[in-house]
Amino acid sequence: MGGPAWLSATFAGVTLTVALYCAGRLAVARLRRRPTELDTDAAHITMGVAMAGMLVPGLRVLPAGLWEAVFVAGAAWFGGRTLRARRAAASSAWRCPHPAPHIVECAAMLYMFLALPAAAGLRAPVGAMSASAAGSRFSFLPLLLALFLLGYVVRQGDRITAQASAAPGASPGRTHHALAPRCAALCKIAMGLTMGYMLILML
Amino acid sequence: MSQSFAVGRAAPQPAAAQAAAGELDLRRKLQLALAVLWLLDGILQYQPSMFTKAFPQMLGQGAHGNPAVVAAPITWSAGFIGHHLAVTNGLFATIQVALGLGIAWRPTVRIALAASVAWAGAVWWLGEGLGGVLAGTASPVGGAPGAVILYAVLAVLLWPADRDGPFVAARAAGRGPALAAWLAVWGSMAVFALLPASRAPQALSGMISDMASGEPNWLAWLDTRLAAALAHQGLLASAALAAVFTIVAAGVLLPARLGRAVLALAVVVAAALWLAQGLGGIFTGAGTDPNSAPLLALLALSFWPASTTAAQDA
Repeated sequence: MGGPAWLSATFAGVTLTVALYCAGRLAVARLRRRPTELDTDAAHITMGVAMAGMLVPGLRVLPAGLWEAVFVAGAAWFGGRTLRARRAAASSAWRCPHPAPHIVECAAMLYMFLALPAAAGLRAPVGAMSASAAGSRFSFLPLLLALFLLGYVVRQGDRITAQASAAPGASPGRTHHALAPRCAALCKIAMGLTMGYMLILML
Repeated sequence: MSQSFAVGRAAPQPAAAQAAAGELDLRRKLQLALAVLWLLDGILQYQPSMFTKAFPQMLGQGAHGNPAVVAAPITWSAGFIGHHLAVTNGLFATIQVALGLGIAWRPTVRIALAASVAWAGAVWWLGEGLGGVLAGTASPVGGAPGAVILYAVLAVLLWPADRDGPFVAARAAGRGPALAAWLAVWGSMAVFALLPASRAPQALSGMISDMASGEPNWLAWLDTRLAAALAHQGLLASAALAAVFTIVAAGVLLPARLGRAVLALAVVVAAALWLAQGLGGIFTGAGTDPNSAPLLALLALSFWPASTTAAQDA
């Protein structure tokens, strides 16, 4: 059982667009000295490329093992950031102020890479995983991850209005106008939806 | 001293100020939960099995047992979808995702809620055959009165109007219409539980064991055991279900303290119902939605009495 190729290609196009846009954000932020969440943008670049490779096998650029290492490192980074945030350490405008959801994103990526070879073989797209993943003892895990990510998506959607009305750079430690915060939120929404779709395929 | 549903007042929320600050009151939280369910519906609709002939066949089955005037449009739409499967199913999924995102984005919340009522009405008829209500096949365990119609009920009850009311659902439509909606939903479930579709000796058992097919082992195990326990106990089980649904239906008329207990019972009943429904079949790759139970829980939360503190603050 596989999904329509055009649908997988569309989602892959979305993730690659987000990855490309986030790479552009990193470049523009450096050139114009406008703060962006460097860690979030970097995570979106890696996740975007990795998800495109899972959706369309022809777009795979790295072996699964390497991607797993990348997302373990990502989860560790955002875990460290979460601990720092809990200790009320001063936040930088160049780091994500709410890193917890990105830990879940990294965990979801890790889950998908670990489940992919077992379920369908390295050359199969993510849509081919659904039939065999259902028998797993951990089948509830992708559902929980997907629900969390969909909740994150709607929360981001809800906060876009607040971001529009809040004065950029008004928060402590942010002396410059943040770089396109609403576009950054749209990237989070697009990545969350695509990841939710891929996790639902694994139920 | 208990605060009655009838006399309690919720604090009217300064919605514009909250929106600017990105804060969430209970109604907004429930709206966002509804948005999550719409997103989940949309993504489930993108599943590979929905792009196969099985999907229009499933829609066509909704016509069975319905009067001709109801069945004919169902049969026609199932045929139409079968001939344009990729386009129509892709469109349906995208509409549902758009409804979820529209509810999440504050400037479009009214448009999205209104559109969700229209969409839910159309799907209830053409996709669910009016939940089997006219066909005599409606059963609460099967999801009657129909999961999708509960989206419409919730959209109305969570409408962002700022009347005073003892609970969130009353702020949109007023206390009377909100209570009428609650009584209609839970009262109809009590009635459906007593129909032959539920009370026949093997009806509930068969329904639940059918849900187990294709589920993960832990859920299949649970549903198989439940089905075995209910074997040949259709009448007793349906009478017990009807009694519980009646208690829940009447619970909102009780004083607040008792009312809270009944609403908590409603959430527990919804959770149990969800397990019996096999979580809507979402693990099977063929589930189009998480079925009625999560929406019933959301409905119960929208009737949760405002706290005394909040009322005093008002």
